Amino acid sequence: MYLGVDIGSSSSKAVILDGKGQVVGQAVINIGTGSRGPQKVIEEALTQAGIARADIKKTVVTGYGRMTFEGADKQITEISCHAKGVSAVAPEARTIIDIGGQDAKVISIDENGNVKNFVMNEKCAAGTGRFLEVMGRVLDTTIDGLSDMAERGEDGVTISSTCTVFAESEMISQLAAGKKIEDVALGAHKSIAQRVAGLVNRIGISPKVVLSGGVALNESVIKALEKELGYDIIRLKSPQTMGALGAAMYARALEQNGAES
Amino acid sequence: MINEFKDVVEHPARSVRLAMEKTGKKAVGCFPIYTPDELIHAAGAIPVGMWGGPEMGNLSDKYYQTFCCSVVKANTHQALRGDYDHLSAVLVTAYCDTLKCTIENWKVAVPHLNVIPVVYPQNRKLEAGKQFLIEEFQRIRGELERVLETEITDEAIEQSFALYEAYRKAMRTFVDVAGNYPGLIDATSRHAIIKAAYFMDKEEYLEKLNALLNELAAIPAEEHTHKKVIITGLLAEPDEFLDLFAENSLVIVADDLAQESRQFRVQAVQEGDALSRMARRIADQDGCSFLYDDEKSRGAMLLDMKNRYGADGIIYCQLKFCDPEEFDYPIIKREMEEAGVPLLYIEIEQQMDSVEQLRTRIQTFAEIL
Repeated sequence: MYLGVDIGSSSSKAVILDGKGQVVGQAVINIGTGSRGPQKVIEEALTQAGIARADIKKTVVTGYGRMTFEGADKQITEISCHAKGVSAVAPEARTIIDIGGQDAKVISIDENGNVKNFVMNEKCAAGTGRFLEVMGRVLDTTIDGLSDMAERGEDGVTISSTCTVFAESEMISQLAAGKKIEDVALGAHKSIAQRVAGLVNRIGISPKVVLSGGVALNESVIKALEKELGYDIIRLKSPQTMGALGAAMYARALEQNGAES
Repeated sequence: MINEFKDVVEHPARSVRLAMEKTGKKAVGCFPIYTPDELIHAAGAIPVGMWGGPEMGNLSDKYYQTFCCSVVKANTHQALRGDYDHLSAVLVTAYCDTLKCTIENWKVAVPHLNVIPVVYPQNRKLEAGKQFLIEEFQRIRGELERVLETEITDEAIEQSFALYEAYRKAMRTFVDVAGNYPGLIDATSRHAIIKAAYFMDKEEYLEKLNALLNELAAIPAEEHTHKKVIITGLLAEPDEFLDLFAENSLVIVADDLAQESRQFRVQAVQEGDALSRMARRIADQDGCSFLYDDEKSRGAMLLDMKNRYGADGIIYCQLKFCDPEEFDYPIIKREMEEAGVPLLYIEIEQQMDSVEQLRTRIQTFAEIL
């Protein structure tokens, strides 16, 4: 059995593969690095697989918390792991947009799931999950609730500020000016899509496009991004666990090839 | 010996004061980059590099907007705090808008530091451009004579220029061989050895560097499996960033940094007096974002360096808000893509405490290579 653990800034993910590369356990816990999240998520995945920790032959850890996790055979970046994981479930993907809790990445991959190039957000949290969290708080709802609200929006307001804090005050101003809450929610999604599209343009887009990471569960973001980019986006069943899946695949390769393929 | 260089870089103010005490010389500050240090040396003073620092502070906020680069802001903060009061004068270059404003701001903010502007000609390759630069050097020579209350003779300039040529030759040798020793000279050590030159008396530095080169000559090149990279940009700091190179088995085989190789990669021509040879060195400097280059030759130069040193990839070290470097990046990016050369773009600040995002970028780049 092979374990892949993805410790993000706001969630922990684990995937266990058997000797044939089939997923036998996977779990997501919504607390990330610096918490008990990694431990709990591994326990949950082990329980799901019906195995003990001792049955794990190799472990690869990825994500923001990878350097502080003890007991892994190798640390690999979430960029390489997302590429590997996505290429397994969506082999046709050539551009991966990974929107995580505190950073956004665009990864260009080849037909074997190897990273050709990548870009990350540089200066701030614009275009990340944290942006949506902050905006959800302004509208007194969760990220899911924000997405539902946006679905009902008709004429999304324009949020011009790149800075998350300024964008927050802009949203409050829009509400104070009497705009519908659904249109403000839609505006927040348009804003994140614009920021991410800017990142995509820096690297260039090659179809097909996949959205991975926790924010990919948010249908409103996908729709806003499709509109912004002009491309359809492949919906993944489990976008959050792509990094952990890739890590588990690397763990399996470590054992089987003794290599780092 | 490497630790001695590191100690100098970790305590620049102390190192400069020590050099002043040992030699009895005065000191003159030099903003980045290409200041005519030979003239300062010929005046019997120590040129001191002013390359920002790990603390940006807030004193400079009175004079600069938030989008000005941290090197200039850190220099200004330190000047306002009195850190540079032991300097007799400061040469400030005028390559970008922030530096141009610095010349005027400092005249008001720290008048006792005797700001001397240094202006380089845009058309530096034309005869008129070279003549302009020689006259500019003459003006700076006069300013230094006034401030330092000394005469700078032609003979002294010739001697200082010869010393600097020897220094630059030794530096070229060092950066050529440093990549053979990724274990002994990691990225952090390589940087410290080069940077120490800004805070030491030039004779003493050259003596130490030559001693190091002699020691290295007796050590066989290390066998290693590191990936070879070239770094380009204004500078590559702080140490926490450079530590990531060793952590990810990357060795710097060559650099195109303004703080490092751009200072010494051009060898002067033999003909003419020292001032005309100094002007010619600037004219011959290509591939530098701070000097107008209508050929846009930096990309071709990087590709040539890549082939010469067998590098696997190039890392573009962008200091935040450094405009001249930002203008070059799109051109370099396109040219590297066309040539199929892996290029990593990273934004850095000297004051970074956390390098987690950079760790991910550097590690991913190493994984790609």
